Amino acid sequence: MSWARRFLSALADPTIGLALAVAYVALLLATNNDLGYARDEGFYFQAARSYEGWFSLLFESPTAAFERANIDRFWAANSEHPAFVKSLFALSHHFLFAKWKLFAEEGTSFRFPGMALSGLAVAVTYLWGRRVSGRVAGLVAAVSFAMMPHVFYHSHLDCFDMPVAAMWLVTTYAYWRSISGGGWGWALATGVLYGLLLNTKHNSWLLPPALIVHFVIARGEGFWRELRAGSVRAPLALVAMAVIGPVVFYLGWPWIWHDTGKRLAAYVAFHTGHEYYNMEFLGRTYWKPPMPLGYAWVTTLATVPAVTLLLFLIGLGAGVKRGGAVRLGWLARRLGFGDAPTPLDRDLFSTELLWLGCILTSYAPWISKGTPIFGGTKHWITAYPFLALFAAQGFVLAARALTAERGRAVKLATTAALALAVTAAPIAIAIGSHPWGLAAYTPLVGGAPGAASLGLNRSFWGYTTGAVQGFLNERAPPNASVYVHDTAMQSWDQMVKDGRLRGDLRPVWSPAGASFSLYHHEPHMLRVEYQIWVDYGTVAPARVGTYDGVPVVWVYERPPPPK
Amino acid sequence: MTPRRLLWLAVPLAGVVELGAYYHFARRAPRAEEWARLREPVAALRQARELVVVAPRWADPLARHALGDALMPLADVARSDESRYPRAIEISAMGERAPELAGWRTVGEQNHGRFTVRTLENPAPEPVSFDFVDHVTPEHAQVFEGVAPCGWNPNAPVSAGGLGGNPTFPAQRFICKSGDWFFAGVTVIDDDREYRPRRCIWAHPPPGGPLRIRFERVPLGKTIRGWGGLPWLLFRDSVGATPVEIEVRIAGASIGKHAHRDEEGFAPFRFETGRAGETLDVEFEISAANVKDRHFCFQADSR
Repeated sequence: MSWARRFLSALADPTIGLALAVAYVALLLATNNDLGYARDEGFYFQAARSYEGWFSLLFESPTAAFERANIDRFWAANSEHPAFVKSLFALSHHFLFAKWKLFAEEGTSFRFPGMALSGLAVAVTYLWGRRVSGRVAGLVAAVSFAMMPHVFYHSHLDCFDMPVAAMWLVTTYAYWRSISGGGWGWALATGVLYGLLLNTKHNSWLLPPALIVHFVIARGEGFWRELRAGSVRAPLALVAMAVIGPVVFYLGWPWIWHDTGKRLAAYVAFHTGHEYYNMEFLGRTYWKPPMPLGYAWVTTLATVPAVTLLLFLIGLGAGVKRGGAVRLGWLARRLGFGDAPTPLDRDLFSTELLWLGCILTSYAPWISKGTPIFGGTKHWITAYPFLALFAAQGFVLAARALTAERGRAVKLATTAALALAVTAAPIAIAIGSHPWGLAAYTPLVGGAPGAASLGLNRSFWGYTTGAVQGFLNERAPPNASVYVHDTAMQSWDQMVKDGRLRGDLRPVWSPAGASFSLYHHEPHMLRVEYQIWVDYGTVAPARVGTYDGVPVVWVYERPPPPK
Repeated sequence: MTPRRLLWLAVPLAGVVELGAYYHFARRAPRAEEWARLREPVAALRQARELVVVAPRWADPLARHALGDALMPLADVARSDESRYPRAIEISAMGERAPELAGWRTVGEQNHGRFTVRTLENPAPEPVSFDFVDHVTPEHAQVFEGVAPCGWNPNAPVSAGGLGGNPTFPAQRFICKSGDWFFAGVTVIDDDREYRPRRCIWAHPPPGGPLRIRFERVPLGKTIRGWGGLPWLLFRDSVGATPVEIEVRIAGASIGKHAHRDEEGFAPFRFETGRAGETLDVEFEISAANVKDRHFCFQADSR
């Protein structure tokens, strides 16, 4: 093979990965405008603006920026979450919107880093899938992940959930490369990436245990031998995570530069003692322990396309079988059946064990009945790229079985058709779910109507205001007051700044006296709707925003006073 | 292809079936415009103020939007139960049925587009001779905090506390001397685990003595039946709080007392009047040993 050909060949997969990332971000940008700003986004807009103030000071007067008073002034906002992703929001707004005017909407510039990191996650899912399972399977993994309806929704947001999924995936990928002969460069990268992951969201605390367990099991007898000899050779990447990770975390979060212990303790305490929110699950609203143990599993079943889950189970099943052969092969051989595992089997076992560890670790908090539920699928969204990677393995087995003993052309056509068959439904469901995002449920539970009948949560965070913005703009008289219900005031303000909502509309905190009232449905919120009924003297909404015929958000208009 | 290999066809088949199922379910529920087309036939059918019920219940906002207050008035939507209604119209979509009408006899059935509209008869209706909630007005009632009269205000400032706050304090209410929370007026509270709406008379016992609501010239039935409770979201964790007592008197004589505990939700009470057919004054006295946060609200009628 010529040098040029080798070069082009080496470029092919990074190019495909980049193309996937760019296409995904383009799709997110194209579908951004009618997706209202979620409650938490409002808080992060506010935090990003504050941090942007610090960056401006840093660019103008670096010495002043490092003074404690300025650090405290700008970084106190939203200090219950670390700074990396919010800093990206701030810098994106500073450069892409304010300076270079790449985006027409300010809100889009805040959202862009989350979209870009989601694109990165799709690309890395492809690259990892490509390396382990092949090119078409890598594509299936990437599309299956990107087109999980709730992943598609969260990928739009100025929040941390997709960023943490992306950073978890990228860190784990770097770790895997480092232990797969990638050398110290990947190990150092793992340390740096883990620091960024720590600085993204507290899910990061769960990764080291997953990697340590992986190391112990994957090393097998060798680990115990080394332990007995008193000299365990830990992977360099783990060492880098332990050494470089905390340094990057510390350096990237100015808030903890002072009163470090106290502020870190407050950060940890916020998340270990998180308050309980209300969450509807199978017709019941849970608001305090014991929370339902089946919540994460059933919600995954109901929101991840079934064909993806089927491929995942096939891939997982094959992985478990392989794992058995690798770890319990000696028993099989002693009993007279089974071949010795090949080095390839051992490598694959290690890889799949790593994926499985990441999945189980992401779901682990849901083993406890005491874990608060305050956001549905986003809690364990870090598991989904790995679920898609197992699905790619399932795809390989299906493709292999269906194309065996066929000619090259038939093989290619069959593989392509299979890829299309397993990704068409996820694509249709994800695209169809927009802009209702969290109301999306798969056909396994009867879609959105079936989920509503089962009593599964339809929305939270008040983002569906975006779905009725046109009605408000058209119907409300000048200077009308609008009760915003679950939409954060900062999110409403951003919609006004972005020209989505009229600037003369006056957002208010109470339905009493408001000309229009929004109602974002969750069962425990119903009492707010009743308040509107009594004040307005009507039970008839002026507008009902529906997804596949299921009401998600509705708007009341105060009737004119009786003559 | 071997049978074992044929099994692998299940994978692409699953994808295709899921795609088809997605489009099927996405189109399964009627849309707003289909609900709007129901208005005329339901209006024609509802001639004796029958209760209109929607199945599945989650489609209720679409029905209210389409049918309006005339066909689905607040008093019906926020009812305590269905026992008073002799007939109901059930609008059924996707083959679902209203569980609250189980056991009612179907006396008519029409199909309109993707809906089945049924008329159902209550096997044991309890006609109401007087609904106290409909009569919290100065023409029919007087209200006292202890012995001090609570004045009627037809244009009081309305307040609504949002998710964690008070239910709407309505514009028309009898206002007692102890402050904003102490009045008698009609509002709607959320009830129990399903957060159902209950239209009721706000009757927070005031600090200056029991709240007394006296209705004049009430045509009495055999019983006075009621429901009472506190807003569920606010009091769902409240166990062992001071009970709220509601005592009913007819012409000055007590016919019964009900002690309400928070954890019971919107709970029923019933007293025999012993004066069926007569027209007499009825007084409700609401009290609590400790009145703090006793956001009691009740519905009552005579039947």
